[in-house]
Amino acid sequence: MKKRSKLYLFLNKESSAGVVFSMPFIIGFLAFLIVPMGLSLYYSFCDYDILSPATFVGLKNYINLFTNDQTFYNSMKATFIFVIASVPLRLVFALIVAMLLLKSTKLTGFYRAIYYLPSIIGGSVAVAVLWKRMFAVDGVVNMLLKSFGFAGDIAWLNNTKTAIWTLIILAIWQFGSSMLIFLSALKQIPTELYEAADVDGANSVSRFFRITLPLLTPTIFFNLVMQIINGFLAFTQSLIITQGKPMDTTLFYAVNMYQQAFGFNKAGYASAMAWIMLLLIGFITLILFKTKRFWVFEQE
Amino acid sequence: MKKKLRKSLALMCAGALIAATITACGGSSNDSAKSTTQEGTTTIEMAWWGNQTRNERTQEVLELFSETDSSIAVNSQFFQWDDYWSKMSTLAAGKKLPDIIQMDHSYIATYVEKDQLLDLTPYIESGAIDTSNISDTIMEMAEIDNGAYGIAAGISSPGLFYNKTVLDELGITMKDNCTMEEFIKIAKEVYEKTGYTANIISSAHGVDSDIWSRTHDLQITEKKLPASDSTEYTAYFELLKSGIEEGWHMSPEYITDSASVEQSPLVYGSSPETMIWCTVNGSSMLTAYQSAAPEGVELGLTTVPSDDPSKSNYLKASMYFSISANCENVDEAVKVLNYLINSEEAYEILLAERGIPASTVIAESITPLLNESEQKVVYYINDVVAENCSPLGPADPDGSSEVTDLLNKLEEKVGYGEYTPKQAADEYFTEGNRIYEEKQ
Repeated sequence: MKKRSKLYLFLNKESSAGVVFSMPFIIGFLAFLIVPMGLSLYYSFCDYDILSPATFVGLKNYINLFTNDQTFYNSMKATFIFVIASVPLRLVFALIVAMLLLKSTKLTGFYRAIYYLPSIIGGSVAVAVLWKRMFAVDGVVNMLLKSFGFAGDIAWLNNTKTAIWTLIILAIWQFGSSMLIFLSALKQIPTELYEAADVDGANSVSRFFRITLPLLTPTIFFNLVMQIINGFLAFTQSLIITQGKPMDTTLFYAVNMYQQAFGFNKAGYASAMAWIMLLLIGFITLILFKTKRFWVFEQE
Repeated sequence: MKKKLRKSLALMCAGALIAATITACGGSSNDSAKSTTQEGTTTIEMAWWGNQTRNERTQEVLELFSETDSSIAVNSQFFQWDDYWSKMSTLAAGKKLPDIIQMDHSYIATYVEKDQLLDLTPYIESGAIDTSNISDTIMEMAEIDNGAYGIAAGISSPGLFYNKTVLDELGITMKDNCTMEEFIKIAKEVYEKTGYTANIISSAHGVDSDIWSRTHDLQITEKKLPASDSTEYTAYFELLKSGIEEGWHMSPEYITDSASVEQSPLVYGSSPETMIWCTVNGSSMLTAYQSAAPEGVELGLTTVPSDDPSKSNYLKASMYFSISANCENVDEAVKVLNYLINSEEAYEILLAERGIPASTVIAESITPLLNESEQKVVYYINDVVAENCSPLGPADPDGSSEVTDLLNKLEEKVGYGEYTPKQAADEYFTEGNRIYEEKQ
């Protein structure tokens, strides 16, 4: 029996292979996520203007954010309005379209691709620029409205009431990813349940509310959590389309953070903002999970 | 035996993968190294902000430079104004600022304070940078704490760009050095007869508020607002409010992203209700505005209206070329810098895109080559402003970008009717001072 070296034994253990294969991810995770997060936590307690080294100031940034900064509250408000308006509407549209595309006819594959397309390209700068042109005073939307007889050139992007809705509509338009998840969940609902309901004389409305919806609640929950988190992190649309105007009604939290860090050279302040958002999203997710048992159907 | 071989092979592949990942992540930062590469050529990095015309011309000039001096190659990067500054601060944090960077009057004090720029005085004194043809007033503009931190790339002045074609049709001539009263009369007439509005306050460049501040002795020279109380600012906001209420000033509803010349309502739009007939910007932008203007529209350039033009008019360096403090090949960078300031063949290409060249010799030699717009600018700078202006004053202190943003937000609020002029003035005074205090 040959004596195997320790190294040989180590390299050939099952777990070693696993560790080695996950090393690229671990290194990336540490280098690009954990280390920067730690640095950002440190900077949040400092005055850091990027051009010169950071100086420790304790809780000053956090105190200033809550007591001295109107823009902070404006951006929170704008982001909350965005999330509260866009997430439910997005899920509703995703569910409706998913139900419509449930039956496999010849064109369903094509339709599914078409509806999914916006969610892939929607987050891009190109679409944001396009959206901005569309809603401009002399853009496509106004032209269409005029051809249907509605009066005048409405300045969608400059009106304090409507500007945020252009961004909300852009977010809703990207419902494709949620729709696909709903589709796969819908397909998993056992057809025997529907047949049993038919036998009992249920119409399609009660079929939907009593069978489909309850069985979909886990998926709805998943989509809700994911979309809320994404909603709070929205950035590109606001930066490109409106830059936060008019009057901070479209100033998303992430855009405010970006302006503070790179426009005013207050990276420490912006880091404090980042950690506040992290805690806020964590808290909201926690509440969602804790209230899960009240409305989400758990498979035994 | 086979199983063991496969496993070891798999482990080796995984190991190679990790090694490749680490090299790929670490290697890219070494590629843009500024140290000598093969055949003893030094690579200099240069960055600037600008538009299409500037980018093309500057790159041509840099290639021309490499032909004259083959031991130096210049790599260039260019951005839009906003992206440029966020990119530069990130690079500065990693001590990787490009060797030669374009600098602006509103940022240079901040960068010098944080030791990011090289003092060029020894190179000027030794003659490595030839500044004999640049007037002292202009050299002084980049002097901070007795060090020269940049060389003016061109001279410009704020100006009022107006749609000459529309005014000609109405039979109105725009006089140089007109007062605010005269301007408002003209603006009202244009609005009543054509529907075009004016934009002299919300142009989001701070240039117009600068003019107003100078007229009223409220120029910011140190880290605090110079007014003794907020009432000194009320008149500014009242001007904006009355302009919008009376209709001759553009309302905030139609202000689009004014950072891009091509989308400015001066040149872009389908009907007078959504367009403006005049706006305020730096004089060197005339070429860009004129090229973006539709066929048949001629743009004119004159002084920004003010109650005391000789006080408010000023000449400034449109931008500076500076060398970063972390530059490793300073002598080579100095050579490139000298070429960019003094070479006649370079300016045959660059012409007056960055403003009138600082060197009087160059300015004279290129005047016959300039197109109509650029000649208008030369006339404006040399014959209109230079005759009737006062000195520039020190560079904007650290914190000014936040104060300017505050001013823009307050202008918006007054424009939308959310704030009265008095409220806006109060907030500007208290918040502005607080911002500067934090930066002391």
